[in-house]
Amino acid sequence: MNCQQFWNTLPQRGSEITEEHSGHLAACSACAGQWEPQKALAAGLHSLLEDWRQREAPERVEAGLTAAFRVHSGPQVRRPVRHSWFPPVFAWTSAAAAMVTIALVLMHGWHPASARPDRFAAPHRPAQNMPVVASVADSDSDDESSVLDDGFVRLPNAARLEPNEAYDFVTVAFPGSYMIALGLPLNEDRASDTVLAKVALGADGTARALRLVADGETF
Amino acid sequence: MIEGSMAQYSSQTDDDLLIRLRNGDEQAFVALYRRRQGAIYRFALHMSGSASAAEDITQEVFLALLREQCGYDSERGTLSGYLFGIARKLVLRNLERGRADVPLETDADEIAPRELAVIDDPLAGLTRNEAIEALRRSVQALPRRYREVVVLCDLEEMDYAEAAIVLGCPIGTVRSRMHRARALLLEKLNQDRKPRLAVDAWKPMRYAI
Repeated sequence: MNCQQFWNTLPQRGSEITEEHSGHLAACSACAGQWEPQKALAAGLHSLLEDWRQREAPERVEAGLTAAFRVHSGPQVRRPVRHSWFPPVFAWTSAAAAMVTIALVLMHGWHPASARPDRFAAPHRPAQNMPVVASVADSDSDDESSVLDDGFVRLPNAARLEPNEAYDFVTVAFPGSYMIALGLPLNEDRASDTVLAKVALGADGTARALRLVADGETF
Repeated sequence: MIEGSMAQYSSQTDDDLLIRLRNGDEQAFVALYRRRQGAIYRFALHMSGSASAAEDITQEVFLALLREQCGYDSERGTLSGYLFGIARKLVLRNLERGRADVPLETDADEIAPRELAVIDDPLAGLTRNEAIEALRRSVQALPRRYREVVVLCDLEEMDYAEAAIVLGCPIGTVRSRMHRARALLLEKLNQDRKPRLAVDAWKPMRYAI
């Protein structure tokens, strides 16, 4: 083995050098002289590796990503399976359900007070001026009070928002398409953009609700 | 209880977890994240020198997995390599923005390596923590193309073949960049050590005065 072969075939880790390499080092003082600092450097880099092995991303990154996952998978999980016979069945069922609903309204009268709140937005505050969280989940949230600001949308499958619960907020970047899937008011031209959303984390660390971060808003 | 239920995912491959998370399994996503985030975060931190940039990059890397057209193909490499590839692109974008760029970028692949330093141990005489910090600074000061091979191969223990896939270059290029990177590191460490020795030499005189 000559010097060039020695350096060209040197294993990635110095500790794995073969007998042939060791033989060359014993015979060639020039290569041996260059090899010593390389060994010291490799040991130093290994110490740096060990020193940094426990360094990890802060926990808020996991919380934000979990929230993003829920936003992403929520609408997807509820997406209906498409079969070739599905559209006509769906159309007829919807029509029948609409007719029954209209018939019931005509028979019993319309009671606006019992209507569910608007699905995606909280356009007005209740009488006691409490902030409101809108919900996209099919939930029993008619009487759900909240400690969050207006404009938050409850995530699909997220736990109820308890009035006395402490919340943490993280800001997360999402693809705009997820926001549109949730029904948030976002221009479709921005579907491929990354948008910022503020996510409310419950006391158990799970994401509960989110809202878009307005342009110029600090966080 | 969550930790207990996470244990069932520890034996699964990255690709299995990817399939599960695509089917809406949140714990599979968390398991995959916990398995891979450390390496991605450290890579981004070494490369950018900024904790906030590394945090953003880590988040973006795993967000990419949620996109239906994320572009991962198990035939072309491992999921880990794919994640590093995204992280690298984001790091480059970050560096181009000038938030954490480093000097001394040279077109040195074509330049023959200079003679290696003659000092046997460039870290001799330093405490362990001093040596680690000196080395970290030296890695940080490397030109980007050399820094990334050192971080991937030496600090994240990636083999040359996988690093070649991540970097999109032949394995021989990884090997030659590695050789050059180590030479530059030794040079930098020796440069840093000389002033220190000079300072040490002055100390008795200053005390005498």
